[in-house]
Amino acid sequence: MEQLQSQPTTLRPSSHLPWLRPLLLLVLAGILLALLWNLLPFNRGRADVTFARDMSAHHAQAVDMALILRDRVEDEQLRLFLLDMALTQQTQIGQMQGWLAAWNVPLAGPEPIMGGQGEAMGMASQEQVNSLRHLPVDEAEVLFLQLMIRHHQGGVLMAEDILEQNPRPQVARLAESIIAGQQSEMEYMTSLLQERGAEPLTPLAPMEHGSH
Amino acid sequence: MAKQEERPVVRESRGLRKTATTQQTAPDRRWLWLALGVGALVLLALALLFTRGGGGGDLSGVAEYPNQVRDHVNGLVTYEQTPPVGGPHNAAWQNCGIYDQPIASENAVHSLEHGAVWITYDPELSPEDLETLRNHARARPFTLLSPFENLPAPIVLSAWGVQLTVEEPDDPRIADFIRAYRQGPQTPEPGAICTGGIGEPVES
Repeated sequence: MEQLQSQPTTLRPSSHLPWLRPLLLLVLAGILLALLWNLLPFNRGRADVTFARDMSAHHAQAVDMALILRDRVEDEQLRLFLLDMALTQQTQIGQMQGWLAAWNVPLAGPEPIMGGQGEAMGMASQEQVNSLRHLPVDEAEVLFLQLMIRHHQGGVLMAEDILEQNPRPQVARLAESIIAGQQSEMEYMTSLLQERGAEPLTPLAPMEHGSH
Repeated sequence: MAKQEERPVVRESRGLRKTATTQQTAPDRRWLWLALGVGALVLLALALLFTRGGGGGDLSGVAEYPNQVRDHVNGLVTYEQTPPVGGPHNAAWQNCGIYDQPIASENAVHSLEHGAVWITYDPELSPEDLETLRNHARARPFTLLSPFENLPAPIVLSAWGVQLTVEEPDDPRIADFIRAYRQGPQTPEPGAICTGGIGEPVES
């Protein structure tokens, strides 16, 4: 080698290591591919896409229920809480739809939301949502609080699940804020239930990891 | 690998060539360009594959009715298509979900403006066929499903400005249509909601 380097005009080192340059190129191409692969929306963060769609649908039901009840109740404290909840979750829906648009994927996927397991994620049935309009207001308040505590339990489970799936940083930040926000709202709603002489429903079972 | 095998041949013939250096650099350059070329092609293919958003399916039978008016009006509207795919509509949108009774077109059109796909079916459709349709709408927000009198076909799917008529509920184009247009790029008001309006679906 030293001898060769002293005579640079006749032979270069690479001629004695013919595999070196192709190998380096392959390694470089591999790194480049891996980087770009990660940027593609359907690869890195497939779980992020599913999370954004499912959580948007999950939030949309909470907004719907909060606004249905808000149209009916007189209690200023409860009305403020419902407005806060609805606006926060609607803003988060916008945030998640903004990600989907930026990732260049459709807002809605081909599959049913939450793998068709919405009930396991605390979703209320359409019948329960409808009854929020028809029950006497005091009963509707209790039903809402019971359903929404369960709904938040499901939201927390979904947020915890995405945190275990290597989410993008912005997804992780939202998931963490959903966990913190909804846990504190659950405590508040539990106290409102107790003021009304009622109890929460049985808690949701933890989700099986990777169920969607 | 091929290069290693070639190498001895090049060495043996070196004496016949004018300079050794040009012989050494030429194959290396070719490797470089080959690698770059292949890399670029692979990247292009990947980009095309994955940025299209999952493929469009068969939309060849979809009729397009562009430039629909978006005014809010009171009262009944006479629409050009049956069921309507756009045009003037009521200020209240129809809540998305599954209905077992007909819904007013003036409200449904407003939901189309918000990105809904409206699946309408002949009221005479068999219960089995209806169940197939319900499975297309279940757990898919931004779908409306309702019976509709005097349809031009047993099943008609509508979104803002587009429509597909279908004879059988197991036609794969139903799923293709829903996938392409539910909150799809045709939506005049993306981000608008399909709850908080009027109507109580039996299921969602």
